[in-house]
Parts: sequence; structure tokens; C-alpha cells
Amino acid sequence: MSISVLVLIVLAVAAAGYVLARRRALALAGGDRRKLHSLIGYYGQTVFLFASVPALLLLGAWLFVQPIVIENRVAALITAADIPEGGSLDLVLSDVRRVAAGLDAVAAADGLSEADVAAMQADVSTVRDRLAGVGVALGAEVKPNVFKAATVYRGAANTSRLAMAVAVIAVALAGFGLSIRRVRPDFRARNVFEAFLVTLLIGASLVAVLTTVGIVASLLFESIHFFQLYPAKDFFFSLTWNPQFRGGSSLGIWPLLWGTLYVSFVALLFAVPIGMMIAIYLSEYASKRMRSLAKPAIEILAGIPTIVYGLFALITVGPLLRDYLAQPMGLGESSSSVMTAGLVMGVMLIPFVSSLSDDVINAVPQAMRDGSYGLGATQSETVRQVILPAALPGIVGAILLAASRAIGETMIVVMGAGAAARLGLNPFEAMTTITVKIVSQLTGDTEFASPETLVAFALGMMLFIFTLALNVIALVVVRKYREQYE
Amino acid sequence: MDDMRAVENAVSTAEIKIAARGVQVFYGDTHAIKDVDVDIPDRTVTAFIGPSGCGKSTFLRCLNRMNDTIPICRVGGKITLDGEDIYDKRVDPVQLRAKVGMVFQKPNPFPKSIYDNVAYGPKIHGLNRNKAELDEIVETSLRKAALWGEVKDRLSEPGTGLSGGQQQRLCIARAIATSPEVLLMDEPCSALDPIATAQVEELIDELRSQFSVVIVTHSMQQAARVSQRTAFFHLGNLVEYGETSHIFTNPSDPRTESYITGRIG
Repeated sequence: MSISVLVLIVLAVAAAGYVLARRRALALAGGDRRKLHSLIGYYGQTVFLFASVPALLLLGAWLFVQPIVIENRVAALITAADIPEGGSLDLVLSDVRRVAAGLDAVAAADGLSEADVAAMQADVSTVRDRLAGVGVALGAEVKPNVFKAATVYRGAANTSRLAMAVAVIAVALAGFGLSIRRVRPDFRARNVFEAFLVTLLIGASLVAVLTTVGIVASLLFESIHFFQLYPAKDFFFSLTWNPQFRGGSSLGIWPLLWGTLYVSFVALLFAVPIGMMIAIYLSEYASKRMRSLAKPAIEILAGIPTIVYGLFALITVGPLLRDYLAQPMGLGESSSSVMTAGLVMGVMLIPFVSSLSDDVINAVPQAMRDGSYGLGATQSETVRQVILPAALPGIVGAILLAASRAIGETMIVVMGAGAAARLGLNPFEAMTTITVKIVSQLTGDTEFASPETLVAFALGMMLFIFTLALNVIALVVVRKYREQYE
Repeated sequence: MDDMRAVENAVSTAEIKIAARGVQVFYGDTHAIKDVDVDIPDRTVTAFIGPSGCGKSTFLRCLNRMNDTIPICRVGGKITLDGEDIYDKRVDPVQLRAKVGMVFQKPNPFPKSIYDNVAYGPKIHGLNRNKAELDEIVETSLRKAALWGEVKDRLSEPGTGLSGGQQQRLCIARAIATSPEVLLMDEPCSALDPIATAQVEELIDELRSQFSVVIVTHSMQQAARVSQRTAFFHLGNLVEYGETSHIFTNPSDPRTESYITGRIG
């Protein structure tokens, strides 16, 4: 029985539950819907949910657990001799799965019974050809143990699928039966439905939380793994970054951290003043019409993919800075530079700063402005001396959020600042950042056992801690600001 | 009796501080103030009363051109301060507002220290030559606002930490720190409890010796207690204007009578 049919059956049971629950509620109330505790639809919906959701959850869980259980059983049948030189158990197991699928196809194509399939074991050498006949190509002759494992796999899969169908339908029917028995005129279907929805919403938010926990855990475990292979002292205190895939590399975080902070600093130096001025203009001076045109136009900047900004840095800003600033001043020959990446990233950050600051400035009560104007202050005096101080904590929050964006940015840096890990002060030299090095350590043909690849996780962990700290500071500052007026 | 009043009136007309003639205000298409003529005498408390939405606050905001900050608002007619048209092109509304101070309905101290709140006006108008003078201005203003005793030991604490009544007196101190000639008050006690209201009313009575005070109020008792002259607004019209005692005891317009006896409004 295929999964889609199973889902349809569950839904049919649930739909029947919906109709029957409505009828039953109405009948028990003597045909007078005013005697019911809840609107009649709630009785139907409650039964529908109790019949369908637990059954579908069981189905999902079963599909997740089944392959793990079966593979453990099958793996026991494979002996060390069955694993070819240079191969691994995983590869053999995937052969087993393919043979099993092939046998299904052969059985279906030739109309073989289970006994016929079992008989094929006697002559394993023909199996490869027969499977090729139905479109399943195998790299080598099928070994007897693999064939045996495949038959066990098929058997277990078939039994499990049958058991699953039975269990799911049973749960659907049980949910249906139990909930429909509770349908009485005084049954608080409305409240039960509400509670059900709350559970569902909590479940949805748990998905996000658990994912975060999972990401942090994987970063953490791989980082620990890295620090077992590479001394933490060198990682945190060495001033050189020089990975060698032959081994003996030096993996100090400082050149990368310095590059990250330098590029972010240049970006913020550019984005914060311009973004702030935009925010002040939009919230204090611009007419309604101007605002309705300018604000969306600026926010478009936030929607441009960073790779496009990267291109802009690579082919426009980089050469421009090199030809008109760096070379004439004798500061550098490279078109990739901290300045290039910083400027382009600054443009990307402008809408973050301006949009958030604009909201914060707008949240300053009109009474503050009136008070200041009433004393004879001009608009700019009011902005500088009353509105900005009042909005400052919120603006700091906006800047910190922009900063954590800048620190995590990758594409603009790859294309604008280059990939040379270097500790230097000249902004017209190429430098690189943590994010870029994470990418370059993990791309290509790598195995996850050497410190050169695992360092990516340690770098990721550092980056995560950094941006998390910034975000926490931003949130705390913003919260403090909220308390001031409410 | 009538003769004496005539003499009094003659004296007060001689010291007219603000004169409004044929003032019209439009909010977009709404005609909010219709042809209002008022003479506001110096060193007197003038109360504007009337039901909600009658235009008394709008008219008050015309007197220091606060309505300029509302884009859809248009003001017509003529308003003079000491004989000078305040809507003349040569008049800088920013300078005008230093001369015509304003206190708002809800206390709105800036999120700064008590000292900086009061020093704000003098600083932006450059009224002091040095720090010592600024200290003096702050102290005198706080004393005039009857707040000095309560805050003199905590001038560096934020103004927002004071109680509602103290905040409103701080706002009054802030307004008188720029040494205005007229003080406009838009329902200054509506957000305060009775004790704080009594303190502010007492203060208003003292301020009369130095400024011309114009107060908008919803409370007729308050108008009767603090003002010498009262103007009754209704639906954008100035219905009646005269001696407070006269308005409250012997109104000449039936609408005024209905309002003060509680039949309209």
C-alpha cells in the first residue's frame, strides 16, 4: 500500500469523522443548535483533527525510523569479506538497497511469486543480468551475502510497510472513535480546538528552536573534534594563517578576525552616517509623497542579492578605487581591497541602518517635538538635541544589527577583498575574512578528518559567538529603549 | 458698578499684548476657527473655555504659530503681538516661540536631566554669557515654577523620573527660562491629580505678575479660579469674551449660559 493511499485513507476517516461529529452533536442536542456549547463546526473540526493529526504524525515518525532499524538488521548479515578493498559498509548497504529495488522490479515485470524470487538465490550469477534487464545496473557480480541481505531487506521492508499501514489506520480510527464519543452538547469543542491549535503553534516554533540547537550542537562537536587535532593555543594566538593540505599548517584566527573586523568597520563607517542622515530626512523633513517614494526605493537595496553587490565590487568599484585612489597615491596595485569590499558592503547596509533608525525616530513621541518647537528650537536643533538622544538606544540597536550582518557577509568579501589572509593596516590591500576562509576550506575534494577542513567549524563557531553577542547586546539595548516610553 | 468696570476695561485695553482680528483656521477642508477677534491683555490670565472640538486649542496654537508644524493647516486673518503682525513674512516663527512660550496638555519633559531640560531654551537662544549665568537662569526659572525646593539636590537626575505634577512644573520652568512675554497653556492640568492641579493653579496666579498667561481648560471651575478674563468658544466661533466674573455670573449669550450651567458640551 503506497503512502499516498494511506494518507488518503486517513483523511477519509477524518472527513467521515467531521460529518458524523456534526450529525451526532446536532442529534444529541435534539436538532437545536443553540443548545450546543460551541458552534457546530467546532465538533466536526475537533474530531477531524483527532482522527488525522496523530495518525499522520505516526506515519511521519515511522518513515523516519524504519530505514534506520532495517539497515541495522541487514548490516549484521554483511561480513567483513563482503566489503571490497577500499570500500565501506555504507557502499555495500547501498548495493543491498539497489538489489532489493531491482528484485521488486523484476518480480513486478515477470510476474514472479515470492518463492520464485527466493529461488533466484540458487543461481546468484544470473541476477546481475536480470536486474540489468529492468534497468538496474550493478558495478559487480552480486555476492551471495549481498543477495541474502537484499531479500531480508525486502522482507523486512514489506512487513514494516504493512505494519505501518495497520498502525496508522488503527490510530486514525482510535482517534476518530475516542473523540466522537466525547461529542455531547456540553462538550467544549471550541476550547478543545483552541488548545489543539496552541499545541500546533508551539510545535511549529519548536521546529525553529530545535534547528538552532542542532546547528549549534554540530558546530560545537566538530569544533571540539578540531581542537583535539589542533592545539587551541595556536588557533587563538598564532598570527599566521597558512593551511597546507599536506599537513603542518598554521591556522591562526587573527589574520581572519582582523580582516573581518576591518572590512566591517569600513562598511559601518560608510553606512552609519549616510543611513542616519537618510533616516532623519525621511522621518523629520520629507513630505509624505517623497517618503512614500524614497523609502521603498532605498529598501530595494536590501533586496539585491549579495552576489550582485560582489560583481559590482569586482568589476566597478575595485578597478575605480585602484586607478583613481590607490595607484596615484602609491598605496597599492590590487583591485581587491578592504576599501572595495567595505564600500560596497556599506551600500548594502544603508537600508538596514536607515530603515530601522527611521522606525525608531518615528517612535519618539510627537510631544517631544512639540515641546522643543514650543521653546523656539529649529528643526535641526530639535533633531540633534531632543530626538536623537531620545532615539539613541534604538539607533545603537540598529547599528549593532547592521554590524552583525557585516560580520557574517561572504560574497561581497570574496569578490571585493580577495582571499589573502593578512594582518595589515593599508585599506587598499587585499585581505580576507572568516566567512571567506570557511568557504575555501570546505570547497573542493576534502575529507572531514583533517584539521585543515575541521578548522572551518571552529571558525564558524567563533563567528556564531561573535554575531550572537552582538545580537544579544542589540536586543538588550532595544529593550531598554522600549521601557522608556511605555 | 458699571462705571468702575468701564474704567477697568479702559486700563486693560491700554495694555493689549496680543490682538487677533478675523482669524480663520482651516484643517484641509475643515473650517476650524471662524472669524475670531480677541484682545489679550498683558499681565492677566485669560482662559479659553468651550466644549471639546470647539477650536480653543487650535486658536491657542495660532498665537505662537505652532500650527505651522501641521502641513495641512492654514491660518488667515491678523494676529499682532505688541502691534507687530506675527504672521508677517519677516517674523521668524522660531524667535516668536521664544517670546510666546507654551506648556502642553501632557507633561513632556525631554529625556534629559532636570538641569538640561530647563537650560535647553536659554542654550539654543544663546541667552547666557557663561555657565554661571546659565546656572542662575535655571535656578530662577525653577524657583518661579515653585519646583526649586523639590529638585535642587537632584538637578542631574532625568526629568522623566519626576512625578506628573513635578514634570508639568518642570515644563513650566522650561518655558519661562527663555523669559517669554506670553505663556500659552493647553489644558496644563488635565493629566494631573487634584493636589498637583492646585499647585499648578497657584503657580499660574503668581506668574500673572510677570507674564500674560493664556490657558485653555475644560474645567470651568479652573477658569473661574485662575483667570481674570474668559473667552467662550463654540463650534469654531468666539461666542463671548469678557471679565471672568461677568461671564460666569451674567453671561449675555444664551449658548454661554447653557454651557456653564451644563446643558451643552
